[in-house]
Amino acid sequence: MTNDRPAIALPRNWALPPGAPSIDAMIAAERRRARKRLWTALAFMAPAIGFVAIFLLLPVVFNLYASLTQWAKFSGLNQFAGLANYQRLASNPKFFDATWNTMIWVAVSFVLPATIGLSLAMLVRGVKGEETFKSIFFLPRMFSATAVGVVWYYVYANEGIINSGLRAVGLGNLANRWLYESHLATPAMIVTHVWQQVGLMMVLLLIGLNALPSEPMEAAKVDGASRSQIFRHIVLPLLMPTLIMVTTVSVLAGFTSFDLVWVMGRDFPNRSTLTLSVNQYWESFRAGYWAYGSAIAVVLGIIAMSISWSLGALQHRLDKR
Amino acid sequence: MSATTFDLASLDFDAIARRSNQARTQRVVMFAITAILALAWVTPFYYLAISIFKSNAEYGMGSPLALPTSFAPVLENVAEAWTKAKMGSGMLNSLLYGVVGGAAAIFIAALASYGLTRIDFRGKGFWFMLIFSGTIFPLQMYLIPLFMGYNKLGLTNSRLGMMLFYTAVCIPFPVLVLRNYMAGLPREMDEAARIDGCSEFRIFRSIILPNCWAPMATLFLIQFTWIWNDLIFSMVLTNREDARSLMNGLMVLQGSYANTTPNVVMTATLLASLPSVLLFLLLRRHFMNGLKLQSL
Repeated sequence: MTNDRPAIALPRNWALPPGAPSIDAMIAAERRRARKRLWTALAFMAPAIGFVAIFLLLPVVFNLYASLTQWAKFSGLNQFAGLANYQRLASNPKFFDATWNTMIWVAVSFVLPATIGLSLAMLVRGVKGEETFKSIFFLPRMFSATAVGVVWYYVYANEGIINSGLRAVGLGNLANRWLYESHLATPAMIVTHVWQQVGLMMVLLLIGLNALPSEPMEAAKVDGASRSQIFRHIVLPLLMPTLIMVTTVSVLAGFTSFDLVWVMGRDFPNRSTLTLSVNQYWESFRAGYWAYGSAIAVVLGIIAMSISWSLGALQHRLDKR
Repeated sequence: MSATTFDLASLDFDAIARRSNQARTQRVVMFAITAILALAWVTPFYYLAISIFKSNAEYGMGSPLALPTSFAPVLENVAEAWTKAKMGSGMLNSLLYGVVGGAAAIFIAALASYGLTRIDFRGKGFWFMLIFSGTIFPLQMYLIPLFMGYNKLGLTNSRLGMMLFYTAVCIPFPVLVLRNYMAGLPREMDEAARIDGCSEFRIFRSIILPNCWAPMATLFLIQFTWIWNDLIFSMVLTNREDARSLMNGLMVLQGSYANTTPNVVMTATLLASLPSVLLFLLLRRHFMNGLKLQSL
């Protein structure tokens, strides 16, 4: 206990005032108070910790465990199987197709939402009726992915807007069964997804743009820099943290999106190959392979975490500079 | 300041006029581009809005973007969508999940944030990360364990089970926001009360909570909309109509080609989206504030 005492050099003839408790007693009392504060704080945090631990963290742990077992919904047998489920993943062509399509989702959502969102933000900023335009571009976000999926399912339908529009301008040979062909379905769904998400990116980037200091831009303007020079050399670097944040949000939203793909993929010949999240749902809840489905979920988790960690590290490095 | 001799004639008025003209043209061009884009953006909504006024026969004929010939079919469409998608019970369920789940999550998050910011104890970082770790896993990792656990506990197809899960999943993000917000409130407010012998819960209820209504209301809007719009957890945790959420009902309706037509499905889509969209249009400022919270 005594070695915990603060190292203060006291005068030689220093003494506690008469009647005061000893230093040890004061330290012990402070310890008691600290312990009591910890328990009080824990009491405040208990509901949150309880809910998160039971409904979120426990399932994640159980999912990891389940992915290492032999477990099917219908037979119900449960035994340790090591990495067998992961080996099955590696040799399953459906999983390969789903992963390939998911990679397309990731690659596109790395680039498009941030660039289109930034272009919209620059366009909308200061234009007459800015608030109205902002609301229009943001509006799709307020619809659920399910609702958006249903509407665009009909937009892409055989007699939908796209095909009849193409026929009306004499490009009828380009009309297609967009959501039925394997090379068209994913790009078509990504267009819908970007249409829905890009308003959010625009608003987030506008918040970032409005928070930038105005001095560097004015100084550059005085020095005769052109608008594109100011944008490239001043605005863009200052906006980098916001851009990285927006990219993280859009990549994670893009590659785990399930609702939209599920609803729009209704006519697709093999829905389970559309994306990994649909593949995971299909194998677990339609085919009944619980352990195998858990392994797909783990793969999704690993991808998600490596994306957010690498973008977080990039952010961190920029902050230090 | 010395008097400056200023020769008006030295100014090139033509150049100034040209420049302001140029700026005006530029503004007009920017406006035109934005307006055209916005028009393209709302086309799917226009399509949705006109389709609900078309009968099945009318929907099948003519251009999909043609205006409806009469408003009358909308009544029939609404009636059919409402009964076939069981929208009455779906709306009530979604409302229940959104209101109870959102409110409970934010209250619990406020409690935790109070503990994290107003009380001194060791290991704050650990406890915060424990709660916040609920946001780093993709939702797919919860599905199978929740489904199995709910089956064991008899919570499948129960409204209680849905509310419990939605509460849990909506806690971590508000903890992040409210922790930052409460840390910014002056410490003097609660120190004085503490010296006067107030209990911690009393301080939370009477001093901190009243100062946090603004971010809490915004967070509630965000989480309510998330729950209202969610599909996958209702798909996994319910399979009967009585506990099914509205979006799940919509998805099922769209899938039953045999007895529904696009105009009815479109009507159901609009009805299911109206509450969250109206909420947005009415409380736009709060939503935008919420995004500011998100981007900090």
